[in-house]
Amino acid sequence: MATKLKEVDAVMIGMGMTGAMMAKEFTMAGLRVVGLERGPDRRPHEESILPRIRDELRYVQRIELMQDNSVDTIAFRNSSGQTALPIRRWSAFLPGEGVGGTLNHWGGMHWRYLPTDFRIRSVIRERYGASAIPPDMTIEDWPVTYDELEPYYDRFDKMCGAAGKAGNLKGRKIDGGNVFEGPRGDEYPTPPLKSSAGAVLMAEASRSLGFHPFPSPFGASSTPYTNIYGVQLGRCEYCGFCGRNTCEANAKASAPSHIMPVLRGDPRFELRTHAFVSKLIYDRQAKKVTGVLYTDMKTGEEYEQPANIVVLSAYVFGNTHMLLTSGIGQPYDPRTGRGLVGKNYCYQFEAPATAFFENRNLNPFIGAPGDRMVIDDFNGENFDHSGLGFFGGGYIVGGSGAAPPIGGRDVPPGTPAWGSQWKKETVRWYYRAIEFNTQGSVYANRANYLDIDPTYKDSLGRPLLRLTYNGTDNDHAMSRYLLTKVDAIIKAMNPTTYEMRPRPRNFTIVPYQSTHNTGGTMMGTSPGNSVINRYLQAWDASNLFIMGASTFPQQPGYNPTGTVGALAYWAADKILKDYVKRPGPLVQA
Amino acid sequence: MRRLYSSALLGAVMLVASPVFAADANRGKTLYAACQACHTEKDDALGPSLKGVVGRKSAALDNFRYSAPMKRSNLTWDERSLREYLTDPQGKVKGNRMPFSGLANATDVADVIAYLQTLK
Repeated sequence: MATKLKEVDAVMIGMGMTGAMMAKEFTMAGLRVVGLERGPDRRPHEESILPRIRDELRYVQRIELMQDNSVDTIAFRNSSGQTALPIRRWSAFLPGEGVGGTLNHWGGMHWRYLPTDFRIRSVIRERYGASAIPPDMTIEDWPVTYDELEPYYDRFDKMCGAAGKAGNLKGRKIDGGNVFEGPRGDEYPTPPLKSSAGAVLMAEASRSLGFHPFPSPFGASSTPYTNIYGVQLGRCEYCGFCGRNTCEANAKASAPSHIMPVLRGDPRFELRTHAFVSKLIYDRQAKKVTGVLYTDMKTGEEYEQPANIVVLSAYVFGNTHMLLTSGIGQPYDPRTGRGLVGKNYCYQFEAPATAFFENRNLNPFIGAPGDRMVIDDFNGENFDHSGLGFFGGGYIVGGSGAAPPIGGRDVPPGTPAWGSQWKKETVRWYYRAIEFNTQGSVYANRANYLDIDPTYKDSLGRPLLRLTYNGTDNDHAMSRYLLTKVDAIIKAMNPTTYEMRPRPRNFTIVPYQSTHNTGGTMMGTSPGNSVINRYLQAWDASNLFIMGASTFPQQPGYNPTGTVGALAYWAADKILKDYVKRPGPLVQA
Repeated sequence: MRRLYSSALLGAVMLVASPVFAADANRGKTLYAACQACHTEKDDALGPSLKGVVGRKSAALDNFRYSAPMKRSNLTWDERSLREYLTDPQGKVKGNRMPFSGLANATDVADVIAYLQTLK
C-alpha cells in the first residue's frame, strides 16, 4: 500500500533538462514543486571534475551516465512480423539517468528547426501537389509556428549561453551565419567556437561548390557568460569529451550546471532522487491525473504524490510508456492506423564519412563538437525535391577536432581491424582525418511506432515498451542524396583517400548512431490527430503536460534539443499566464 | 563614477604591490569572469576560493580537494608564480586539474593578478 503524501502544486517526472527548466519557471512564479528523478543526483563539483571527466573508458565505453538496463529497458524489433527482444545494453541510442538526464551527455548541437519544418505537410503539398506525399508517410504539420516559438528559442539560447553566429537577424540575411535559418530576434549570446583545422578546409571546399558554410551552433558558452537565472558559466575549453560526459568547464548547458545551482536552494522546490515513477493516477471521468505513484529505489517503498499539475519530463521512451501503462489515450495500431499513443515514432538518419590527408596535421585532440562547419543547403525544404523521389534532408557537417584517445582512431578502408598493422595505421592517420556527418531527417511512417511488449517486464513488473522501427525507402534515398553532396565536398578537398559509410538496409541497435528518438506522444491540432495540444497539454488529461521530443510529429534534419527547450519555455509561459489562473483545457477540442 | 572607482581600486593595488604599476585591476575584474564560474565562495564551487590567494601557499585550503600535482607543487602564490601559472597552467603545474588553458596575453595576466590582489 502506497504512502500518500501531501499534495503539491506541481510534480516533475524526471529531472533532466526540461524537468529542471519547468521546475525553475514554476518556482519563480511561486508554485511549490517536487522533482522526482529515478536516478542519482549529479553535482558538478563532485562529478564534473578533472581528471575523471576525461576518463573515456568510464564514460564513453562503459557509458556510466546512462539508464540502467537491468532496471528498465525497451524491447526492439525491425517490423511488426518479428518478435521483439529487450535491449540489454544501450548502444545505438543512450538514454541518460540522474539529475540532468540525457542532456548531461549531449554533444551540444544547438539547432532551431526551419519555419517550413513546422508546416511540412502543407509545404510539400503546396510545392509538389496534393498527392505528392506517399500514403504510408504519416507526417503532419506542427500545431505551432516558428514565429510563435522564436522568443522561446531565444530564451533557451540565453539559458544555455549558446555559441554561434546568426544568419538571419529579424529578416536580414548575414553572410557567414546560416542564411537558411528562420529570422532570429537576437544574436547568439556568445560568439561561435574557433573552427577546427578540418572544418576550415571543409568550409573552403563547400564555398567553392557554391554552398553556404557557417560555424555549427553550440549549446555551450564560448566566453564566460551569466545565464538568465544568474548562473555564472565558464567558457568551452575544447577538451572534446562532450558527447558522453558532463562539462568540466561549466560551459556546456545541462541542468546540474545551468539550473540546479539556483533551484536547489529554493524553499519552494524539493528534489527526490532514486524516485522511480511507475504510474500516473488517472481519473478518466474528470480527465485529470490526480497524482503519481513512485517507488523509492533505495528502500522499495511506494509513495503516492498528488499534484495539481503533472509534468511528464522523462525521456521519449519513458513518456510514451507512462501513457500506455497508465491507460491514458488510445494506443496506436499500425494495421488500422487508429490510436495515437506510440504513433509517428521517428529517429535521426545519420550517415558519416571520413577523409584522410597524408600531408596534414590537424591536431584532433583539441576541439569540441561545436568546432565544426556546417552547410544547410540540403536540409528540409531548403532545396527543390522535384524528381528526387524522396522528401526531407539534413545538414552536412565536417571537422577534425575532439577525437578522443580510444574512439578517435579513424583508419582508411582496408586497414585490418586489429594487430600490429592496425596499430601502425592508427598512429599514421590519427592526426590526418576529417570527419563528416549528414544529420538526416526521419519522416514518419505508419509502420514505425511504439507500443507495449507482450513478453518482457521491467524490475517494477511493468511490461516493457516495444520499439518497432526500420529505415524507410524515403529516408534511405534522402541519405544517399546527402552523401553525394558529401562526396562532392570531399573530392574538392583532394584527400589521400576517403570512406563513405551509408546506412545499412536494416536498422540495428549497435553501434551508436543517434540518441534523437522522437514521437510517441505527438502534438497536434485536435484529439483526432494528436495526444497533446500546442501547449503540450494532454487532450485526455488537462493537468498533464508532456515535455521533450516525444511531442514531435516527425524529426527534421537537425538535432532536437533546441526545439525541446523552446517548446518547454513556450508551454511554461502559457501554463503560468493562463492555466494556473483557470485550470482546464488551453485549447478546446 | 566608474573612473573614480577604477582609480581608487588601482591606488589600493599599488599600495599593496608596487611592482604591478601598470596593471589594471578593474580590467582584471572583467577578465576574472572566466575564472568565476568555478572560483566562487560557495560550498559546491568547482574551484578553491581565491580570497587571499596572493601570498598564500599552494594547496592551502582544508575544504578543497586539490590534485596530487598541486599538493606536491609547493609554491607560494606570489606575482611571479601566478604569472607563470596563469600563462600556462599545465606548464607550471603539470597534471593539475584546473580545466583552463591559460591566458595568452601578458597584459591580461598582469591585470588578473592585480585583481586577485584586491581579493581579501
